[in-house]
Amino acid sequence: MKPIHSYIFLLILGLIILAGCRDDFLDELPPHIISPESLYQNAEGFQAGLNGLYALVRQERSGRRRGSSNDLMISAAIIGTDNAYANWRAGIGLLFNEMGTRSTPRHGFYRDMWNWLYEVVNAANTIINRAENPNIDWPEEEKNRVLGEARCLRAWAYRHLTYLWGDVPLNLEESGFVIKTDWVRTPVADIRAQMEQDWLFAEEHLPDVPAIEGRLSKVVAQHYLAELYLALGEDQMAKEKALAVIDNGNYSLITERYGVKASEPGAPFMDMFTDGNSNRAQGNTEALWTFQLESEVLGGEGHNIMRRWYVQRYWSLEVSGKNPIEISEENGGRGLGRFGPTRFAIELYGPGDDRGEQFAWRYYWIINHSDLNQIPLGWWIGDTLWIDWKNQINEPDREPEWPCIRKWESPNPLDVTASRQYDDQVYLRLGETYLILAEAQFKLGESEAAAQSINFLRDRANASPITAADVDIDFILDERSRELWSEEHRRYTLIRLNKWVERTQLHNSRSGQVLDPVRDRLLPIPQDVIDANTSLDMPQNPGY
Amino acid sequence: MKQFFTLFLLLSLPVALLFSQTQISGEVLSREENTPLVGVSILEKGTQNGTLTDENGGFSLNISTTEATLVAYMNGYQSQEVQWTGEGTLRIYLVSVLDLEEVVIVGYGSQKKSDITGAVASIPEERLERVPNTNFVQALQGAIPGISITQNSAGAEGNNNSIVVRGRNSIAASNGPLIILDGVPYGNNIAEINPTDIASIEVLKDASSAAIYGSRGSNGVILITTKRGSGKPRLTYSGYVGNQSIANKPRLMTGEEFYEFKEVREPGTITLTEQNNFEAGNSTDWIDLATRDGFQQQHTLSVSGKVQGTSFYISGSYLGVEGIAVNDKLDRYSTRFNVEQKIANWLSVGTNTQLSLTDRSGVPADFDDAFFMNPLTNAFDTLGNILVTPWPEDPFFANPLQRTLALNDDQSYKVFSNNFLQVDFPFLKGLAYRLNTGVEFQSRKQGTYYGRNTQIGQQVQGRADVRNRTYLNLIAEHLLYFNRDFGKHTVGLTALWSFQSDKYEDHSFRGTGFPLDNLTYFQFESAGLITSDQAATESNIESQMGRLNYSYDSRYLLTLTGRKDGYSGFGENRKYGLFPSVAVGWNIAEEAFLDKLDWLSTLKLRLSYGQNGNQAVGPYQSLARLTTANYLNGTATAPGYRPSSLASPDLGWERTTTTNIGIDFAIFNGRLQGSIDRYQSQTDDLLLERRISSVHGVQEVTQNIGETENKGLEIGIQAIPLQISGFQWSIEGNYSFNRNQIISLVNDTTDDLVNRWFIGQPINVNYDLVFDGVWQEGDDIANSAQPDALPGYAKIQDVNGDTLINAEDRTFIGSRQPDFIWGLNNTFSFQGFSLTVFLHGVHGVTRENPLAEDNVWIEVRRNSLYREYWTAETPINTYWSNNIRANTQNANIYEDASFIRLKDVTFSYQFPTNIVSKINLAGLSVYINGRNLKTFTNWTGLDPELSSQRAIPLQKVVTVGAKVNF
Repeated sequence: MKPIHSYIFLLILGLIILAGCRDDFLDELPPHIISPESLYQNAEGFQAGLNGLYALVRQERSGRRRGSSNDLMISAAIIGTDNAYANWRAGIGLLFNEMGTRSTPRHGFYRDMWNWLYEVVNAANTIINRAENPNIDWPEEEKNRVLGEARCLRAWAYRHLTYLWGDVPLNLEESGFVIKTDWVRTPVADIRAQMEQDWLFAEEHLPDVPAIEGRLSKVVAQHYLAELYLALGEDQMAKEKALAVIDNGNYSLITERYGVKASEPGAPFMDMFTDGNSNRAQGNTEALWTFQLESEVLGGEGHNIMRRWYVQRYWSLEVSGKNPIEISEENGGRGLGRFGPTRFAIELYGPGDDRGEQFAWRYYWIINHSDLNQIPLGWWIGDTLWIDWKNQINEPDREPEWPCIRKWESPNPLDVTASRQYDDQVYLRLGETYLILAEAQFKLGESEAAAQSINFLRDRANASPITAADVDIDFILDERSRELWSEEHRRYTLIRLNKWVERTQLHNSRSGQVLDPVRDRLLPIPQDVIDANTSLDMPQNPGY
Repeated sequence: MKQFFTLFLLLSLPVALLFSQTQISGEVLSREENTPLVGVSILEKGTQNGTLTDENGGFSLNISTTEATLVAYMNGYQSQEVQWTGEGTLRIYLVSVLDLEEVVIVGYGSQKKSDITGAVASIPEERLERVPNTNFVQALQGAIPGISITQNSAGAEGNNNSIVVRGRNSIAASNGPLIILDGVPYGNNIAEINPTDIASIEVLKDASSAAIYGSRGSNGVILITTKRGSGKPRLTYSGYVGNQSIANKPRLMTGEEFYEFKEVREPGTITLTEQNNFEAGNSTDWIDLATRDGFQQQHTLSVSGKVQGTSFYISGSYLGVEGIAVNDKLDRYSTRFNVEQKIANWLSVGTNTQLSLTDRSGVPADFDDAFFMNPLTNAFDTLGNILVTPWPEDPFFANPLQRTLALNDDQSYKVFSNNFLQVDFPFLKGLAYRLNTGVEFQSRKQGTYYGRNTQIGQQVQGRADVRNRTYLNLIAEHLLYFNRDFGKHTVGLTALWSFQSDKYEDHSFRGTGFPLDNLTYFQFESAGLITSDQAATESNIESQMGRLNYSYDSRYLLTLTGRKDGYSGFGENRKYGLFPSVAVGWNIAEEAFLDKLDWLSTLKLRLSYGQNGNQAVGPYQSLARLTTANYLNGTATAPGYRPSSLASPDLGWERTTTTNIGIDFAIFNGRLQGSIDRYQSQTDDLLLERRISSVHGVQEVTQNIGETENKGLEIGIQAIPLQISGFQWSIEGNYSFNRNQIISLVNDTTDDLVNRWFIGQPINVNYDLVFDGVWQEGDDIANSAQPDALPGYAKIQDVNGDTLINAEDRTFIGSRQPDFIWGLNNTFSFQGFSLTVFLHGVHGVTRENPLAEDNVWIEVRRNSLYREYWTAETPINTYWSNNIRANTQNANIYEDASFIRLKDVTFSYQFPTNIVSKINLAGLSVYINGRNLKTFTNWTGLDPELSSQRAIPLQKVVTVGAKVNF
């Protein structure tokens, strides 16, 4: 090659280089990332936002570390009360059985639950703030329904937060990109005023009956409003809201057998807890709100561990060194029995009350082990193994020999030993609305009416009717336990009625003996939240 | 200068011949390789009589006397004097040295080491050649001052190393250095570079040398150059085979010990299976079952040489590792073509290309499970099959060996090609253009199936996972060079304009609920549920760089660089960054006033100052994003999203400013030489992965806030303390320390407790409650901060003395930053025999040791370390009692993780040429190497270096290897 070639060569090269330049070389156009700007453009986008919000809310019944199958998220509302404790000597079980030095602001449980609730708040705030975008083309009605659902769930999150922690930061804005290090704890009264506004809005704009199973309707907002008014001492308004739910016409108590196991022995009260029976379309007229789950469907995995937490670990029951009860579908799948009723809670039921009988509780198991080596001498398959709970002095904290509730039995269809479950579940039901009504009526001096409200529930459970003279706050609390054990946020009810210390001390042989009547009424603010509030001191709850 | 001298020698040869009386003949060989050295200057001492060795390393020289001293020398080798006593053929061995005259690869070019102004360190090639490394990073550990390599986990691949040059700069962004392979940024997976193909590794440590890599240089730059061809074409085989075994196996409780432990901790919780096993005297050692004797081998054949205008290096290599964890395997097949062709005087083209297949098929046993698994359970059924549920009473516990039953295929294919074209402009001397293009393409496919014989598969009726990933990195660089001498002035100019584009796609699918196991992961059509996870990233970088090297009389040196980078991943307003640097050097030894000091051959002072960036946040970090959170419409999917991250519109470069002062010296004819560097760097606009108040609904955000500082000292020394009659003892040692501290944070000078960031402290600290011994009988417990404690309970230090144990009592425990690290290599060689002992040490590190904490769960369902517990009879103070309430405050155990490791011991022998030539070989050497033979430490966990203490143990490796030149 001659030198002249080098010039031609370079000229061509130069042209290629220049042709290769692009102006948009540094622009980012992610093909797979969804941002708030791209999602909240139209009604479908907002529906997707609501779906995400429901999926978050459903985590109430999952593990506290989302996706893990341990440490039920809602534990704090259930155990460490007069009617429930942990039959479990570790983790959250020890935390709520023993409190004391275990209950520190550094405990991961407090942090995880708090984080989850504020994620709900932020997801709701994002929908609420962005729905006001004037560029969205949608009917006012549709917008208000979306707002109604999001505001109802935001208030729902603050209900949890205020009952557990008292004053908490009231965050009503979507977390955009401004980072705050000076959060202030808003007084409970101010938060409740906001919750009232949110629920009133939802009441106005949500339908009587949800269009899709598992979504919110007007009655959910009314139910929570009734409870809120009780907390505020507005008993007349509480009564009105409770009656609005009861008189809606679309909802009624289950008083007859129905559904997939109607022909098998059972009780009407328990039918709605059977897989396949919990939704309205399946005949459940009592449910105000259900959680939706589904096996092998995207969106169906809720990491729900109610069975794991409430069904007894019967498979470790011992007779002469053998474990004769095998994990099976009939036994409700594999449970760990982490949470159990206090002795007081079991003994609350009068004779004949379906809610305390064998269809609602396991007091015995049928020997069934397929490995004959596990059948003890003198026993055989089909024999009934009664649980000797009456002779135990205190509630056990690591024994399977204790009754367990049957509301959450639900074997995993793929594997009876699996941890999670996929049955749709009743979350809020009319039965509780009757009890809210009774409380309002009692406080308004209408004991006769209160007794009647309670008798609706007692009648359908075959319990003996009561009279006005029987009704007082303790009786209502007893009745709530009988009706709603493991469903009710028991701690909230007791705190609302200022009965938590008294009744837990009286009836819970574990936490009752150790609780600090001043400190333990509220949980400690997670240390991380205090630590991250670097520009303003955030006060801790007293005693921690 | 030397070339001129050589030329002179050549020209004077005929003249010398006229007077010759005696002819000396001989050959010159490389000490390390035992191969002929071509072009070595041979000079009769005290005269100008000399010659050069020929293609076979041979020479002949006529001298005028019967006795003479010959001096043999060549660039890159220690010069050698030999007495000739008038008899026989001379054989001269030259030992390569880290000669200051050697040429060092720097970014976008190379420089004479004596002209370098920054802090650049090279790896002794022996560290690469004669130890059985599965990847090059292993060769770096302990070899260079200021570079800290930590092996985070063991295993066949051994590539999970963190490389930190001069301490951590960044809190959130990656602290790993930029790796440049043959001039092209290397994307991922260091195990896919064949270490036997590597000719040299250079580490650019200070701002000045790394500044030419601008936005990506702040964590240092590692330059890897693969082998080139030169000399007569030759065929070389090198390879080794070796055995791997566990370096340290922690002592867990046996079945019997576990039984007794459990009876004390939680009486009455023994299950039937445990009872039966205990009575039968059975105990399962799960670690034993999960491990095996490993095997490691590598074989490489290469051809290299230079024929006319073509130089080439072509190699094919196989690496096979069967790790000490059952089913942990690595097979790498790689081939490399490095070819350069001179087409015309002004034009040459070439390629450096590697093709590789890396096969990682097979899933090892689950070591976390193996460490925790109850020893009173059964691994196998009576037929020897792995049991799905080793503990029937507690089916939560899967068999730790279950993963070994999975079908797993995992292959990664890679093309890494660097192609270049160089034009030396005929019209202006010293001006050149170079086009450098790089392609890195990697495709990795994984398919896994867990059948019903595993718990994972049983719970979901079979689980199939398929994952396909592709990574494509394209780079084009236009470089203009101008290098020219003007009298005593030497000028070097470099200008760069480059574009780089990275694309990554990741598609993974999981299917569950299969009717049968037979079709493994090829049956998605019959899956009950398919879920997917797909990701894609694309990022682009555009850069311009300019560099001026100027030297006057090789005494005064100046380097100026500036680089401008634009990165697509940053917020709209902060896409571009400019990174300048300046460096000066002074070769004091060249000054006339030091001429008299014969023993001083090099003394150089270097000073540099400059800025680098760190862009190492992933793309899309500045955008607010939503996470998938689907719900249901009846039994159908209702697609849903929820907020998961905050927007960070001002996310931009992290910027590090470094000052470096260094001295290079060589004395006593190069027998003692070294470098000392002192540096200080400050990083601004830190990229922080900052935890924020969860009241936001999001717990973390990536931001640029804050400042950190690194200060440190690095010393590297090479010495030859002893060199007598063929025996040589040489030492290479390095010592360094780095002090890191946070200068400011988000709110200026407020500590950020939630992130454990404290002003004036290193980025990583141990901040926790302090375990302060055990409460003993007679202690005043009632009036202490733990009034409900009992003797035998863990005592927590009441740091603030308020008789309460709470968050206020957290404090700093030791340091996670080493006081210093060092490496020491001793080589003893004698007549072809050589013994190398390499030690590596890390001192002054405190870490939490999770293995020391018994974490046996309620009802003692997991195993733990065998240890002594407090009892009333043996009231020890080092561990609490065996009681579920003994440590309610969750005190953690911190231990000194300092260690000294006997990293490599190599004994080798090079056969003399006369023996080798009888079997028609050009060279033959053999060696035996032992790695990780011994570790000295007080750490009671698995290994002080590994990040997880319940993982695949570190392996001890013994290999034998050979290198044959045909």
